[in-house]
Amino acid sequence: MTTTMYADEIAPCPPRAGTLYDVLELILDRGMVIDVFIRVSLVGIEILKIDARIVVASVDTYLRFAEACNRLDLERDSRSTTVPELFGGGAAKAVGKRKVRKAAESVGDTVRKVVGADDDDEDAEQEERPRKRRAPARGSAPRRRRAEA
Amino acid sequence: MTANGVYIYAIIPTGQALGPEDAGVGAPPAALRLLSQGPVAAVVSDAPEQLRPRRRDLMAHQDLLTRLAGRGPVLPMRFGTVAPDEAAVRRELTGSAKDHVATLRHLSDGVEINLKALPAQDALATLLAEEKPVRRLRDEARRRPGYEANVRLGEAVAAALTRRAAEAGHGIVRALTPLAREVAPGPEVHGCALNVSFLVDRDAAGRFRTEAERLAGPRRDHVELRVAGPLPCYSFVTPRRRRAPAGRT
Repeated sequence: MTTTMYADEIAPCPPRAGTLYDVLELILDRGMVIDVFIRVSLVGIEILKIDARIVVASVDTYLRFAEACNRLDLERDSRSTTVPELFGGGAAKAVGKRKVRKAAESVGDTVRKVVGADDDDEDAEQEERPRKRRAPARGSAPRRRRAEA
Repeated sequence: MTANGVYIYAIIPTGQALGPEDAGVGAPPAALRLLSQGPVAAVVSDAPEQLRPRRRDLMAHQDLLTRLAGRGPVLPMRFGTVAPDEAAVRRELTGSAKDHVATLRHLSDGVEINLKALPAQDALATLLAEEKPVRRLRDEARRRPGYEANVRLGEAVAAALTRRAAEAGHGIVRALTPLAREVAPGPEVHGCALNVSFLVDRDAAGRFRTEAERLAGPRRDHVELRVAGPLPCYSFVTPRRRRAPAGRT
């Protein structure tokens, strides 16, 4: 079963501790390790860590970038007059941005899934709650599926 | 009851006490205790039965270390460090007491600030305007749309975004390095062009952050800077590894 979740906004960066993603990376990767203990402890965690990192640099991302670029261009290309341009181009731009953001977001989502998806505490909900969209819905039907915890 | 082992959070100087609100991982949060051995003490609790990196436990680990670091020097352990029993912890503390004391002294009044440079995601328009090869590929993809062309274009965009972020990031790191006591490059993180930690005097941390944000401002089209900290000194506790004096990176 594959579950996908897209969030439309970058999680805001709290001033002190950084995002959960930063914390995760720091406390899993760094900090002191005493050699004697590591074999006892980190076996399962190493696997999760690797899992959390196989992300982003995929063909899927490239295609999203390409799509975003092509759309973005409709309003910037002086040689063509297109509908988005006639209407001021705002729509095309918004779509482009969101695509890119989605592509880049998959890192955070993967981490979120690893960390939170099977977590039954209620605090898991805090970060997984879908964030409010700013722009009107795009042309195609929303493809977002919520990860079912 | 230590059937699952002893979870170690940190090593602190002997004599530093725990606060009443300090608690460990697990549900309900495990009770903490100190194992003092000579000049250093380990902050430990019983390990929960099935320890996994859940949000709750990660945050508990991080919160405790942040609080400890607020009170004095601390050697933060990685999340999930579990010893078989207390005797093993005590043996380890005795064995490397000298190293630990030296590191604690080195870190005193220091905090870590982590800097990540991410590709600027809203700068596609600028990217297209400034990067000729990307523009050429985009024109190609628009003239002859197709899967291959799109992948090539996307690859070029991704590469250009990362390169621009790394360049801008290096500039920022260079400018910030004189303000730090030490600099440690972090492991490569997917989606990040740059991942660097700085060891900064505690009372200079605010100024450091402000400066980082000021430097990021004019580079907004190239890089999205993420600053985390002040944090416990995760990146500066390994004595024999990866320690770069400030000024190298």
